Amino acid sequence: MVNRKMKQTATITFAAVMAMSLAACGNSNNTSGTNTKDNAAPNAAAGSGNAAATDAPSDKKVTITFQNIYPDPATPAYKMINELSEQYQKEHPNVKIELDTLNTDQQKVKLKTQAASKEVPDITIVNPAAQMKPFVDAGLFAPLNDMLEQNGLKDTYQEGLLDYYSFDNNVYALPDGNNIEVVYYNKDLFAQAGIAAPPTTFEEMLKDVKILKDKGITPLAIGEKDSWTGSFLFMNILLRTNGGPGFLQDVLDGKKTFEDPAFVEAVDAFQALVQAGAFPDGATSIDANAGGNIFKTGKAAMWSIGSWETGAIDASPVAGKVGAFQFPTVNGKGDPNEFMLAPGSAFAVSANSEHLQETKDFLNFFASEYPKKQFELKNAVGIGQKVDGDLKAAGYSDLAVNIAGLFNQVKGGDLAFDNTMNPATAQVHLSSIQNLFVQKMDSAAVAKEHQAAFEANK
Amino acid sequence: MKVLKVPARTIAVFILPCLLLYVCLVFVPILVSLYTGLLKWDGLTSSQFIGFGNFKDMFLNDPVFWPSVRRTLLYAVASMLEIPLCLGMAILLNRYLRRANTLVSVYFTPVILSVVIIGQLWKTIYNPTSMGGMLNGVLVSLGLDSWTHNWLTEPNIAMYSLYLVSLWQYFGYHLLIQYTGVQNIPDELYEAAKIDGADGFKADRYITLPLIVPIFKISIILAFIGSLQAFDLVMVMTGGGPAHATDVISTHMYNSSFMSFKYGYGSAIATFLVVVCLVFTGIINTVFNRLERKYN
Repeated sequence: MVNRKMKQTATITFAAVMAMSLAACGNSNNTSGTNTKDNAAPNAAAGSGNAAATDAPSDKKVTITFQNIYPDPATPAYKMINELSEQYQKEHPNVKIELDTLNTDQQKVKLKTQAASKEVPDITIVNPAAQMKPFVDAGLFAPLNDMLEQNGLKDTYQEGLLDYYSFDNNVYALPDGNNIEVVYYNKDLFAQAGIAAPPTTFEEMLKDVKILKDKGITPLAIGEKDSWTGSFLFMNILLRTNGGPGFLQDVLDGKKTFEDPAFVEAVDAFQALVQAGAFPDGATSIDANAGGNIFKTGKAAMWSIGSWETGAIDASPVAGKVGAFQFPTVNGKGDPNEFMLAPGSAFAVSANSEHLQETKDFLNFFASEYPKKQFELKNAVGIGQKVDGDLKAAGYSDLAVNIAGLFNQVKGGDLAFDNTMNPATAQVHLSSIQNLFVQKMDSAAVAKEHQAAFEANK
Repeated sequence: MKVLKVPARTIAVFILPCLLLYVCLVFVPILVSLYTGLLKWDGLTSSQFIGFGNFKDMFLNDPVFWPSVRRTLLYAVASMLEIPLCLGMAILLNRYLRRANTLVSVYFTPVILSVVIIGQLWKTIYNPTSMGGMLNGVLVSLGLDSWTHNWLTEPNIAMYSLYLVSLWQYFGYHLLIQYTGVQNIPDELYEAAKIDGADGFKADRYITLPLIVPIFKISIILAFIGSLQAFDLVMVMTGGGPAHATDVISTHMYNSSFMSFKYGYGSAIATFLVVVCLVFTGIINTVFNRLERKYN
């Protein structure tokens, strides 16, 4: 009797387990099935031009997931995304916008993980050019050409900006900004050290660094635990020693190698900065935000970073004391009107989105309203779209007006290293530059390391 | 089996759900990463089968790999050397304190704190003098200025600074395990030994140590596996930098897979990690089985 009951239980358990495991198998089959179907869909849409755009948006209830990198409630960007989402939901009661808000590094990893299982959120954030290429190659993003034509959205973007987000004549993402690298400086600390004017040559800059250092002031703020910060500064030096933009492109085209004198000279110049004690002690364990705070709390005299920090500096304790200058010439080479260009993070739409049309409609609204909203929130310096209105009259700071003026002087420039080279080469570069902060290296060896990594990861 | 009076088949059926779960969640992923380790793959686009190419690169051409293995193993050795210390401490606590529980809880506190908090805490302790680091501050006030260092950014020192934090954090964990083990040894044994003239150190040598061997083994294995997988603390405090000086196997694997987009290569490193774990766990088990047999 007991035995039979036992057997019965066993059979039931066994059946249940089998059912569960079968369900698990079936599930994975399902996902891959929909994927192939959805993968085919955007291609077809792209092929037939505006076919997708003519479909009228339906009234069915949809939830659009919007992954973003504006987590800090104190910043204008956070207010912008929340207010715009709310406004859209009010106008479209059937649409719910779900914000998946993360900080930059978390978002990068999360997207990568989601991409590996082809489950990209409806709208996500990517970086331009080489950094978004792997995702585009994997067919994860929907082309936005048709949507850009609606409501004249395309014409709001600065000339040529969308090129950084285009592959094979398809635009795959809409940038949230277009910035340049400048050197912010604290006028009070400069005066305290007896420095009359910001440096116009690298040699002057080195001299100022030494003067500031002797006064016990950290000359240049940086947070080199996030190694892109050092690379961003280094690339500005390379832009000068190369006598103009295009060094990395020349390497990619096989016209130059990393062992070119311009590169070696840039490494030497960078090491001169390190040797002069320009950076805070222990820079490689300071993360990017904390590095910025050294400047924003008035403990460092200079900060070489993207103009996207303008709004944040105006909201910090050093507001009103800060000016900005163009990165100086190095050994008499280069043109200060050439800048490190930083086309911003950009909004991309998942090709596998279950409600592609609604998502595109929302993004169209979002991108169209974006410049106005940012202007209102005093965050319009460095946005990638044309915006009507006078900064000064709208109450922007002198620094903001000054930076906006620099934009008009831009004669060209380079993209960051990791936006130009593939990720594997970029990682070697980033840690190689990080190493310069803690060890004096033979600059020829640094160049060789770069070249070897480039060739190994072609 | 015979005690249960249940046919082997039934036992097998009852084990099955757990076994299936274990196979799905542990074995299948290991096999999958074994396979992806043979691919040249960025994790997104199509892959290409390259046999043992990744392993060849890893063993012969990767300047970061072997140093990170060395640091990981050193980490493991250091955390295993900590266990005897914990045991000694546990024995002392058990002998000289009536109610050691409060003290043990205090030692245990760092374990319940998130590693991120621990990392941030120690970062401020290790900060350079100019940024008000506590450790350097203490050294300076003792007149030992020449002993001050940038603990987390000097390539020769940074890794040891990390070891110390980890040892500090897990001291209480292993102490608790050992202390519980020591407490579970029946008092009668010690009383009987006392009559026979074995007291203090002698009693420890002939009673505590032999009886604590299984508990000791658990701690050793936990410490070993834990340190092989060390990841979070390194990520929070140095991110593997400066320039790979504090990279361990797991951070190198992470950077390769997710930052360099070399998913296949990262999987090859993962495979290596699995093999190392298995081999060393096997060795530790054999050694302790011998010890246990000796004392039984």
